[in-house]
Amino acid sequence: MIDTIINLLQHGLGSLASYLAAHVLLCLLPAFFIAGALVTMIPKAAITRYLGKNAPKWISYPAAALGGFVLAVCSCTIMPLFASIHKKGAGIGPAITFLFVGPAVNILAISFTGVQIGMDIALARVLLSIFFGILIGLLIAWIFKKDEAERQKGNNQLFAHKAAIPGKNTLFFVLLLAILITGTLQINLFQSELVTVPIQAPWANRVQVLLSRWIPSNPDLGIEGVSVHGLILIGLLVLIGASAVKGLSTVDESFNNWTYLTLILITITLLIASIKLPVIGNQIAIILTGRFLTETILMIALWIIAKQLFSESDLGSWLWETWRFVKQILPLLLAGVFAAGVVRGLIPANWIESIAGKNTLMANLIGVLFGVFMYFPTLVEVPIAQTFLSLGMHRGPLLAYLLADPELSIQSILITSSVIGKKKTFVYVILVTIFTTLAGLIFGYFIT
Amino acid sequence: MIIKILGGGCPRCEKLEQVARLAAAEAGIEAEFIKVKKMNEIMQYEILETPALVIDEQVKSFGRIPAKEEILGWLEDAK
Repeated sequence: MIDTIINLLQHGLGSLASYLAAHVLLCLLPAFFIAGALVTMIPKAAITRYLGKNAPKWISYPAAALGGFVLAVCSCTIMPLFASIHKKGAGIGPAITFLFVGPAVNILAISFTGVQIGMDIALARVLLSIFFGILIGLLIAWIFKKDEAERQKGNNQLFAHKAAIPGKNTLFFVLLLAILITGTLQINLFQSELVTVPIQAPWANRVQVLLSRWIPSNPDLGIEGVSVHGLILIGLLVLIGASAVKGLSTVDESFNNWTYLTLILITITLLIASIKLPVIGNQIAIILTGRFLTETILMIALWIIAKQLFSESDLGSWLWETWRFVKQILPLLLAGVFAAGVVRGLIPANWIESIAGKNTLMANLIGVLFGVFMYFPTLVEVPIAQTFLSLGMHRGPLLAYLLADPELSIQSILITSSVIGKKKTFVYVILVTIFTTLAGLIFGYFIT
Repeated sequence: MIIKILGGGCPRCEKLEQVARLAAAEAGIEAEFIKVKKMNEIMQYEILETPALVIDEQVKSFGRIPAKEEILGWLEDAK
């Protein structure tokens, strides 16, 4: 009995530890900052100007999809915007496209999916969400076109407001994205080992042995175990957390010393995550990689540009939003990852494989239904999906699950229904179910 | 004076209320603060995004947290 509990705990911790590993940090840390930037640095009117009543279809639908990506970072943003586009703007079609694409193409979820499960699934998630989002929007607009013609009366200025994204914001954005991509792209340029500095460190081996014993790795189940490198990073993360509480909670009002400490710690952590730190016998080798070099250059550029081009209050708002996302998402994510690890130890391996091991219509449908009926907080669907993957689920049904899960929670269905009515919501849910199943089926077929 | 904070209850809405209360206190105004959380009530106002600040039924800002000085200005106008 005790053995089982310890085993499950190890599964949970192992899962957690692999998520805090270098490659996930290199993805999640920048992604949170990007999410913060999306909220504070992109004027909504830059996109909503294309979503007004008189916008032609070939502008409003792509704009709605882009809006889903750029504007819908927070669930509190999605609903009011959805309702406004529907009632006062381009109509139910683009509104539905926005509603669908928003949760699906969330920057945090996509980058996390890419790093944790695979770039193929992440890319598929993005492209298929946009494609089907526009398709479903067009279908719903067509099915309910009589209602639409009656509804669109009156005039208002909500969508008339125009804005453009300031050049320096775009530059900042591109830099942040570059840091994210550099951290996560697995290409030779980044993985190349430029400089190797071996250091005498007899303690390292002993620590590694201890770690391997407490949290054993299990490649069959995708558990990586913790390395000395990982331990250092986890320690840094704890320090960042402690420092951020003091430094970022009111950063929109003012910077304090803790703010600077937090930012420096984050920079160092990212750089340490970009190197390799293998333990070889009595030595630890500090290997500076191409990734490390590129990240260093990018981070220096970021610091300089931030200092020169942005006011302290701009940066403060950005950091405040970033920290808000971290507080909102990270605790649940860590809990979810731990739980996914424990669950991995509980579910018999061939159970998942027999239900969803092959790319059949049924398997994809089951993936979708599971996504609909099981509610997980934002981002947790990724470690859950990984658990399924390691238990034998085929990548087709996996994609179907990942597409459906953020879309259709009981809560979002209820709110949607309060905006567009039960009949339209019902049709929407049916269409989403059909198309996500199809998307998974097509993807699964494509990759085998 | 009635100050309404429109929003579903996420941290940004709390922040907006905080700043608005500070501004009202600084301006020496006794205002009634109402938090509107239901979506269909929120959509009665012309906004694109929450959180939104409404002073005496006029939408002053939405989708962002205005600076305290800005809010002070609106409060002065509304007196």
